[in-house]
Amino acid sequence: MNQNQAIKIQHLNKSFGKGDAYVDVIHDANFTINKGELVALIAPSGAGKTTLLMMLGCVESPDSGTIWLGDEKVYENKWLTKETRKIRREKIGFIFQAHYLIPFLNIVDNLTLLPQTNKVKDEESKQKARELLEYFDIAEKENAMPSQLSGGQNQRVAIARALINDPEIVLADEPTAALDTNRSIDVVKMLKKIAIQRDVAIVMVTHDERMLEYCDKIMKIENKTIVFNDA
Amino acid sequence: MIHLAKEDIKHTLGKFVVTAMGVGMLLGIVLIMVGVYRGMIADAEVILNDLNVDLWIVQDDTLGPFAEASKVHEDLKYTIKTINAIDKSEAITFQNLQLPLPHKKLAVFAIGYDIYGAINPINTKRLIAGRVLKNEHYEIVVSDKTLYKLGDKIKLGRNFYTVVGITHGTVASGGDPLVYVSLKDAQELQFTYSNKRIETDRARGILSKNSDLVNAIIATVKPGYINEEIAKDIRKWLHKSVYTRAQQKVVLTRYVVEKASKQIGLFTVILVVVATIIIALIIYTMTLEKMKEISIMKLIGLPNSLIVKMIVEETMLLGFFAFIFGNIFSHLIYTKFPKNVLLQLQDAWVLFGIVMVASVFASFIAVKKVINADPTAAIGG
Repeated sequence: MNQNQAIKIQHLNKSFGKGDAYVDVIHDANFTINKGELVALIAPSGAGKTTLLMMLGCVESPDSGTIWLGDEKVYENKWLTKETRKIRREKIGFIFQAHYLIPFLNIVDNLTLLPQTNKVKDEESKQKARELLEYFDIAEKENAMPSQLSGGQNQRVAIARALINDPEIVLADEPTAALDTNRSIDVVKMLKKIAIQRDVAIVMVTHDERMLEYCDKIMKIENKTIVFNDA
Repeated sequence: MIHLAKEDIKHTLGKFVVTAMGVGMLLGIVLIMVGVYRGMIADAEVILNDLNVDLWIVQDDTLGPFAEASKVHEDLKYTIKTINAIDKSEAITFQNLQLPLPHKKLAVFAIGYDIYGAINPINTKRLIAGRVLKNEHYEIVVSDKTLYKLGDKIKLGRNFYTVVGITHGTVASGGDPLVYVSLKDAQELQFTYSNKRIETDRARGILSKNSDLVNAIIATVKPGYINEEIAKDIRKWLHKSVYTRAQQKVVLTRYVVEKASKQIGLFTVILVVVATIIIALIIYTMTLEKMKEISIMKLIGLPNSLIVKMIVEETMLLGFFAFIFGNIFSHLIYTKFPKNVLLQLQDAWVLFGIVMVASVFASFIAVKKVINADPTAAIGG
C-alpha cells in the first residue's frame, strides 16, 4: 500500500435504473490520489461528476469495487462500516458551490459544530477554529453571522469548516461557481496551498478551464471511465 | 456543545415570539374554558357550602330543586325535626327571578328562607355591605353582581323590596347572582297568582292560593348519627326523596353542569388538537426552510440525532413559551368573562404536560422530513 495515498479506487462501478432506464455512469474506475494533490474533476454535465464525488464522500453507494480512504478500506462491494457519516465527519471535508454555512450560527460556531460532534472539547475546537480563521485572514469576524460577511469571506469560512477536523480528503463541488474570476483564482490558489501545507488530497469539480492550470492533475470522466491528464 | 435549537430561535426570534403568542392565545382560551368549568362547579357548590346542611328532603321521586321542580309542604320541617337524630330543620325555596334594571331584566336565583329559623343561607363572610334579613316582608339581600346598592327599591310581583344587604361571590350553578328573601315573600312570589288569575280560578271554583309549599326541607344531623342511615329512614317512612350533602353535590355536578362540562371538555380537546396541529405546521414549515442546511449538516457528517434533537427542542420550546403566553393571556382576560372563571394551578400543570407531549407529537412530521432528507441535495447548487 502506498503510504502517501489519500484515495484509492479499484474496479469501481456505478449505474442507475433497470431495463430501458438503465444508465451505466462509472465503469471499472481505477485511480489513486495522493496526499498533497489538488485534482480537478471535469466532465460534461450528467457524466457522473457529482455521483463520483458522492461515492468518494461515502454518501452514494457504488454497485461494486473497492474504496480506500487513506489507509482504511471503507468499501468492498458494500460499506465496511454502518457509520459512513462518522467517516465523513472524521476523514472528509466538503466545500460546495455556495458557502452553505448554517445561517443561525455565528462563524466560530459554524466551524466548531463538527469537532464538537466528534467530542472535541469546546475550548480546543474554538482554538482550532480561531487558528483557521487567522490562516484565512478573517479572524476578526469570528462572532459575525454569515449574513454579515461578503461572499468571498463566507467561502473562506466554508473552506475553513472543511478543514476543521484535519481531514485527509477535501471534496469540493465547484467551489468557485459563485465567485468572479479573480476571487475564483484566489480560492483555487488557496486550495493548492492548503493541499501542500496540510498534506490533504483535494478533489475539485470545476467547469472553469482557467482553474486547471493551478491543479496537479485533471481527472476526466470519458465514456464512463476515468482518465487522468497532467495539468 | 452548541445548542442548535437555541441558536436557531435566536436567529428567528421575532417570528418565534409571534408564533408562540398566537399559539399561547389558543392555550389561554383552553385555560379559560377549564376555568369556566371549574367556576361552574364552584358556583354550584356556593349554596351547598353556605347552607352547610346534612340532608335535603325533597318531593318524592325527584332530584330536588336544583335539577327539577320539587314541592313539599312547609310543615314537613316539623315532622323532620321530631326525628331524634335531627338537630335542625328548615324550609327553603329556590326560584328564578328577573330583577328590573333600567334597560333590561337581570336573571337571578332567589333563595327564600325563614329569617327566624335555625339555618341561615346567607354566609355572613360574604356580606360586604348592609345586613341579613330582619323583617319578614319586603327586604332583599342581593349579590354585588346585580349592581344594586343598599336602599334601592326593587319591584317584585306586587311589592317593592328594599335592598338591605349586599353579598360577594354568591352565584348559582348557572352563574346567575343569588338574592335572598324571606320565606313568606318567596312563597308569595312563587305560589301566589295575580288578581286576574285568582278571579278566574274562583269563577272555576278553584282555590288558587296555596302558599305553604316550599321546594325543600333542609336539615342538620346530630353528631354520632350516620347521614345515610337517617336519609334511608326518612325515605322509608315519609315517602320523600332524601339526599345527603354529597349526593346533592353529585346532583349539581352530574345533572346540572354535566352537559356544560361535556361541551367545555369537547371545546378544550378541539382547541388542544388545533394548537398541536398549528405547532406541527409551524415547525414543519420552519424545518422546510432549513432543508438545505439540514442536507449540508447530514452531508458533512452530523448525526441525525443532533438534527432531530434540534427540531424536537424547538417544538418543545415553542410549546413551552406558548404555554407561558397562554397563562399570561388567560390571567389578563379571565375577569372580563361574565361567568365565574376559576384558574387553578393544577389545571395549568396538566395543560403544561399535555402541551409538552403534544409538542413532541407535533415534531414528528418535521423529524420524519429530517430523517428522510437527502444529503446529496446539498450538492449541485
